[in-house]
Amino acid sequence: MNNELIDFVLVSVALLGIGIYGLSVKRNAIRMLFAIEIIINAANLNLVAFGRFLPHSGGQTLALFSIAIAAAEVGVGLSLIIVAYRMYQNIDIADFRSLKG
Amino acid sequence: MLEISSTPLVIIAILGTVGVLLPIISIARKEKGSNSFYAVIAFSALIVSIGYVAYQFISDKILPSALFSEDVLVDDAFGGFFAIAMLIVAIFTTVGSFNYMRKKNYPAVYYSLILLSTIGMVLIAYSTDLVMLFVAWELMSIPTYVLVGFMKKNPSSNEAALKYFLFGALSSAIIVYGISLSYGLTGSTNIGEVIHGYATLDSSLLPLALLSVGMFIAGFGFKMGLVPFHQWLPDTYEGSPPTITTLLSAGTKKAGFAATIRIIVLGMVVLNLDWTLALGVIAVMTMTIGNIAAIMQKNLARMLAYSSIAHAGYILIGLAVAPFSHLGLQGSLYQILNHAVMKGAAFIAVTGIVTTLAVTNIDKLKGLGRRMPITSLGLVISLFALAGVPPLAGFWSKIMLFGGALDAGSTIWWAPWLAIAGVLNSALSLAYYGWLTRKMYFEGETEKRVSEPKSIIAIMIFSIIFLVGFGVYPDPIIKFVQFAAPTLSLGIMP
Repeated sequence: MNNELIDFVLVSVALLGIGIYGLSVKRNAIRMLFAIEIIINAANLNLVAFGRFLPHSGGQTLALFSIAIAAAEVGVGLSLIIVAYRMYQNIDIADFRSLKG
Repeated sequence: MLEISSTPLVIIAILGTVGVLLPIISIARKEKGSNSFYAVIAFSALIVSIGYVAYQFISDKILPSALFSEDVLVDDAFGGFFAIAMLIVAIFTTVGSFNYMRKKNYPAVYYSLILLSTIGMVLIAYSTDLVMLFVAWELMSIPTYVLVGFMKKNPSSNEAALKYFLFGALSSAIIVYGISLSYGLTGSTNIGEVIHGYATLDSSLLPLALLSVGMFIAGFGFKMGLVPFHQWLPDTYEGSPPTITTLLSAGTKKAGFAATIRIIVLGMVVLNLDWTLALGVIAVMTMTIGNIAAIMQKNLARMLAYSSIAHAGYILIGLAVAPFSHLGLQGSLYQILNHAVMKGAAFIAVTGIVTTLAVTNIDKLKGLGRRMPITSLGLVISLFALAGVPPLAGFWSKIMLFGGALDAGSTIWWAPWLAIAGVLNSALSLAYYGWLTRKMYFEGETEKRVSEPKSIIAIMIFSIIFLVGFGVYPDPIIKFVQFAAPTLSLGIMP
């Protein structure tokens, strides 16, 4: 494997780790959304880095798709968070407990 | 190149046009609350689509399951099979919403989102490229996040939507990461080339390939509700509008299985066959935990949610033994079709109960058999079909699944245990289905009959005919499943 490539992959794995840490520790909905975005961006970094060392541009194309879709996802997610905030005056998901079994 | 008249493109054209036009029409008409108008439009679009798929099958234009293709989509029997299952579920949801959405806000947006989500589900089954699969996956998921939180004045709908969104977004993030790894390892996003690349991979890179397959299992597993990834599922199914629960339980979950069969099962065959044991263990855990948790539930929707987790386990048995027995994958497909109808009917019955009586607590359902006779009959028949009681349709699919596991026992030692676990779990599930039936028919005062919504009655009658009819005479469905199931042997290579 190329030496330059390994740097990108290491950064990407570090970002994946940060994202998973954030998801498992934080309870604020927006922070969790950030953590998920970090994981998606780690994957995008991977795609672009791999695409750089391959003869065609499939990776960059997928990264563009993924960025656009992530934007749509964040739009929906933030609107759900706003609706929840209007109802509870709070976005701490540990406080959302109306559903229990 | 796909022809312009190929099934996936026609379905995109029909459902996409109608789905995009519905909100525009509603703005142009400037009136609120004409729910039935939009429901009829969405319903006819779905009927035309399912008619087109059925016509392609009847006129023998569909290729046998191809699994690999140069293109991003392939018009094969496997995709057609899933398209029919998903469109049935979407029709159930639309017809079931007919009464539920009355006097509620924004019906046009609601039906439009159902149609868009259906396009996503159908495309997942047709896609043979990871980019296409990912885009279809998101097209399926994003509308359902909105639909789960559609009752925005209702706290439990909000909470369900937020939980579902966080887990769903995580699952798609993990899938992109898995795609990025497999792209890096094989230099392609075409599923056939990825699997070919895995087969010829340098052995020092094998752990990375296994990691990418593991990420696919985790990502799809969130949607399928496999056991380590199932925490969101009961909350979301209980809190969301019951019609949308139908779409989630019978639709998006099955789309997850379609994606799994397209990628993981094939990837498993070339990577390392010990992987199947992991799927077998997940299958047994999923069944057992789902069924045990379902026994303790007090809420009908939540009980059905846990039973839906358990059924993901049954379907997974077939995937785990797929490389060793051709019955495995056929049984899985059969169970997927049956489960779509059975769970769809059960959740639509819940919708009927919620719309007319506004209760979901099981203790309050006493005497339901006399208050809402047709809904109760549909619910009970779908519950017994879920448990696998002969001669209902669920019986034959379970026989095929467990038969596949026994058949694979000649190659791998642990496969028959999957069948034993499955049979024990079916017996366990009969306990709580029977308990619910007893509450509905043999307890409670004699109460007056209430009028049942006509749309719900129509779905109940359709499901009763489907489940009893194809239970007594299963041959056509078995032939259909055998045609649609891909043949999986160690010799397949793109």
